[in-house]
Amino acid sequence: MSVKIAGDITSGNVLIVENQPVVVLTKEYNKSGRNAAVIKVRMKNLMTNRILESVFKADDKLEGVVLEKKNCTYSYFAPPSHVFVDAEFNQYEIDSDVLADVEKYLAPEMTDVCEVTFYEGRPISVVLPRTIVREVEYTEPAARGDTSGKVMKPAILKDTKHELQVSAFVEIGDKIEIDTLSGEFKRRCT
Amino acid sequence: MRRWDIFCRVVDNFGDIGTCWRLAQQLANEHRAVVRLWVDRLESFARLCPTVLTDAAVQDVDSIEIRHWRSDFPEVDVADVADVVIEAFACELPENYLAAMTRRIVAPVWINLEYLSAEAWVEDCHLLTSPQPRSSLTKHFFFPGFSARTGGLLRERDLLKTRDAFDSAAATEFWSSLGIAPQKNGEIRVSLFCYANTALPELVQTWIESRNPIVVLASQGAATEQIAAILEETLVPGVSSCRQALTVHALPFLPQPDYDRLLWACDVNFVRGEDSFVRAQWAQRPFVWQIYPQADEAHLVKLEAFLERFLEKFDHSDVVRRCWRAWNGRGDIGSAWPEFVSNRSLIQQHGEVWAFQLDRLGNLANNLSYFACGK
Repeated sequence: MSVKIAGDITSGNVLIVENQPVVVLTKEYNKSGRNAAVIKVRMKNLMTNRILESVFKADDKLEGVVLEKKNCTYSYFAPPSHVFVDAEFNQYEIDSDVLADVEKYLAPEMTDVCEVTFYEGRPISVVLPRTIVREVEYTEPAARGDTSGKVMKPAILKDTKHELQVSAFVEIGDKIEIDTLSGEFKRRCT
Repeated sequence: MRRWDIFCRVVDNFGDIGTCWRLAQQLANEHRAVVRLWVDRLESFARLCPTVLTDAAVQDVDSIEIRHWRSDFPEVDVADVADVVIEAFACELPENYLAAMTRRIVAPVWINLEYLSAEAWVEDCHLLTSPQPRSSLTKHFFFPGFSARTGGLLRERDLLKTRDAFDSAAATEFWSSLGIAPQKNGEIRVSLFCYANTALPELVQTWIESRNPIVVLASQGAATEQIAAILEETLVPGVSSCRQALTVHALPFLPQPDYDRLLWACDVNFVRGEDSFVRAQWAQRPFVWQIYPQADEAHLVKLEAFLERFLEKFDHSDVVRRCWRAWNGRGDIGSAWPEFVSNRSLIQQHGEVWAFQLDRLGNLANNLSYFACGK
């Protein structure tokens, strides 16, 4: 455990709130009366994935957590868990519902190195690389002549069946880059 | 009956204790609550409420138990912890008291009563929880404010009725109690309660050269001291000072009910900080606000946020905006004042509409009590 001053916390910090680990999603700093400040924090409970909002005085002392992290690769889905493997071939099962933001990109044979975070030895979250490459399984035929990238159309990814908006010139079988933070199409791979 | 403990640290001036004392009285008188008010500086409190003894560790005033909050706070028995604990303006609770709160079987409702601001973020933070790792208790942030998404403003149940009953005869009687002659035709009476203000010398000069007689009722402290320095005269209560159109009366320190009467009796009120600012809105007279100055000029953002809300439905908003900005160091008070005062009947009408709107939000003590009961 470490002490975190509320005014100093940043997105991605992990805190213990009401005996549960939470990750800070956003922080707002507002000047209150005199020279005090109110910090509004949006957090995700790492055990339940529940989103919560709280406020603190800027000088409140909070409990920060230094978490263990390991690089892993995705292995397979064994309902209701996804299995990840580290460099020593240790396997870690992570519940599907904890991976809500990530699950749509998990595909067999994927080689992306993922960062798995552990709380008290238990894997609690997975962060994908900021950019990943996936294959388009289906999209409407490319619009002739439009190469600007401004006109978008839906596309479905291979394996995961996740749908996202891609540029109109993308075709079936194309490999595309996706920003995992925003979930948006970045570009077509050459 | 629920027991409430209100903790108040007097940082400077009288705003902290003024607000806490009003809240304590309202909870006791209108919500039948058993209220204990902890105050660190009884001498400040005694100025507002002359029956308060400055050397008593425990005393009862108007059915409220007043406790002197000393730095060596005594050990607290769990049974002595109130059902609702208010830390006013984010003051830190004493460690001993906090420890006793933690030991209580049913956790008390713990509320941080925040500062008043018209900024939009206040609405998003009102009533949010603040889990406290050191105590394993949860605090709630409660914000006063000007919209239905905040806790509203302090207002006693009968305040508006009492204000409406304050007629010209009552005003004459009030002036007489201060040793001041009744208001004459054409004369403009101005109450002045302010912090140190660099716009004041120019305003005083404008008053001196005014076409209408201006009678200024200067509150004890910064207002009187600055005017005395500008006029190079000694100002004391009971003696007036005249310069052409301007007459200045230095007031003694007025207890809260008398300060309300002063606001009702004057044509224009200069107010400051939080408590007098709120009372001026209930007084429904044209008023000019000097906001508490903050580092990095954060106060100017708060000033604009209030002006935005207050003047949203007022056609002559620029007149008010110019005067308020100038009074807060952003503009020329010499040209803003004549324009403000000549529009005062329109500003007053707007103030009446505004107070009606505020009244519909419910008042802060009711909203606070309702929230605490639901926990």
